[in-house]
Amino acid sequence: MFPDSLNLSIRAPVNDFIQALVTNYGWVFKAISGVILKAVLFIEWILRGLPWWLVILAFMALACRSSRRWSLTLAVCALLETVGVLGIWDLTMQTLALMLMATIVSVVIGVPMGILVAKSRVVRNITLPVLDVMQTMPSFVYLIPALMLFGLGKVPAILATIIYAVPPLIRLTDLGIRQVDAEVVEAATAFGGSPGQILFGVELPLATPTIMAGLNQTIMMALSMVVVASMIGARGLGEQVLNGIQTLDVGKGLEAGIGIVILAVVLDRITQGFGKPRTEDARNG
Amino acid sequence: SYCGDGKTVTFAGIDWESGAFITEVMKTILSKGYDCQVDSIPGNSVTLEQATANNDVQIFAEEWLGRSDVWNKAVEEKKVIAVGKTFVGASEGWFVPDYVVHGDPARNIEAKAPDLKSVSQLTDPKIAEIFADPEEPSKGRFLNCPSGWTCEGVSTAKLEAYKLGETYVNFRPGTGTALDAAITSAYLQGEPIFFYYWSPTAILGKFKLIQLEEPAYNEACWKELSSANGKRDEGCAFPSVDVAYGVNSTFASEAPEIVEILEKATFPLDEVNASLAYMADNKVDATAAAAEFLKTKGDIWSKWVSDEARGKIEAGLK
Repeated sequence: MFPDSLNLSIRAPVNDFIQALVTNYGWVFKAISGVILKAVLFIEWILRGLPWWLVILAFMALACRSSRRWSLTLAVCALLETVGVLGIWDLTMQTLALMLMATIVSVVIGVPMGILVAKSRVVRNITLPVLDVMQTMPSFVYLIPALMLFGLGKVPAILATIIYAVPPLIRLTDLGIRQVDAEVVEAATAFGGSPGQILFGVELPLATPTIMAGLNQTIMMALSMVVVASMIGARGLGEQVLNGIQTLDVGKGLEAGIGIVILAVVLDRITQGFGKPRTEDARNG
Repeated sequence: SYCGDGKTVTFAGIDWESGAFITEVMKTILSKGYDCQVDSIPGNSVTLEQATANNDVQIFAEEWLGRSDVWNKAVEEKKVIAVGKTFVGASEGWFVPDYVVHGDPARNIEAKAPDLKSVSQLTDPKIAEIFADPEEPSKGRFLNCPSGWTCEGVSTAKLEAYKLGETYVNFRPGTGTALDAAITSAYLQGEPIFFYYWSPTAILGKFKLIQLEEPAYNEACWKELSSANGKRDEGCAFPSVDVAYGVNSTFASEAPEIVEILEKATFPLDEVNASLAYMADNKVDATAAAAEFLKTKGDIWSKWVSDEARGKIEAGLK
């Protein structure tokens, strides 16, 4: 046994800190929360407001553009039809909105962060352990304080999703840039390319397949957080799953579960497709 | 005896404060006093009720009788029985913080709804606006029980019966912790919040809350509300509730000596509240509160057990 006399618990100070934060600075977080909420509600308003066939058409167009295969395009159409037939269209759109918001913020944070990590050893040494913490810390540990600060519902869910889903994007952006052939960069430098030109004209385009793989992982991880997010009141497919399993209504849980899987498959194939053709272009060109 | 044969007594690992506390106390009594192997499985109440019916769980320490379809069905099929009374005087209802009605000059909070006292006033759009749901600002937010809790179905039914479905979002927080955190956070910031809660709980002991009046309880109305497919024309208050130990029938016939203890083990409501306050004030978990209860309240629990067991438990606590 570790001697009790050496115990140093951080429980009480952390609890007091959170309580003081909520009591005194609650309004600051409420304001931030309000902004994020507006953005999600806007995305949700668009997705839920559009007629279903238009959403399916948009997804088909994306699938066609990304894969250039008719089979996938038709499969996407059939899968989304299934969602509608199962009667979970509206919930799926709510989940999609939540996930899109989390993904957009993840990209805004993740890609620049990944570039910084690739370029600077110091940033890299600081960031990587932080990413480890983000990926391993059980999400409930930060969900509950986030909930007290940002209010119940979508906003803490999005924040938790970002914390969990952004690390792969940062890691893979970093990897992608560092994997760019040093000779290619050297050649670009020899032709007088400025660091900015090299980054945007050489490194990022060559790293795109890896970055897209990172984005793909981010989306998948965001989807896997959907059920956890519902535990703090985010509505959508996750809530339906939670409700289904908690009331022993297995059928209801499975229906919503299928919805999540379909969303995952569709988004996975589309983002994977966007990664691939560029590789070929890059090789050919 | 059951424990003498080396069989394990599995408790439902119910996670609300009073349930967790009572489960810990009974676990300690059985393991220390009667040399039982004890265990508890975590889960939500519906799953654990089902597990009790299947004899995967033997004792459900705080079963609110007549509230859950799963439980009622298991009782009808004689798979489970209710034993004794865990405590007497439990209550539940819909609450708002006191400062919403009376204000709180000390914290500089003005009364937002000075006349609010009854559920019937909730249809007023002005009241709904006070409790506005940030995600759907045109409606108020009613913070229901987490889905899977028995009270969730009843409160949802009531929301319809009181014709509040149009003006309020039926917001299910997902977990009990989320519900508590939302209430605590709102209370600390002095914001209006409208929610379901019950006693005995630390929240009700800690915060000054007002329970909204509802039409008096009657059996016919309750029957419709508490059934998943019932009518939703009439709302009424929650009935006073019997809380008992839910016990698997097979287990009850195999272990009459344990059932005998449960029959006697009624916690005085004050003691439950005191223990919950102890948990909240000292920020300790149910295990610590149970140990404290067993150490200091020997006069209460010693009446439940045999003299021999009492000696063993006291020795075990040292």
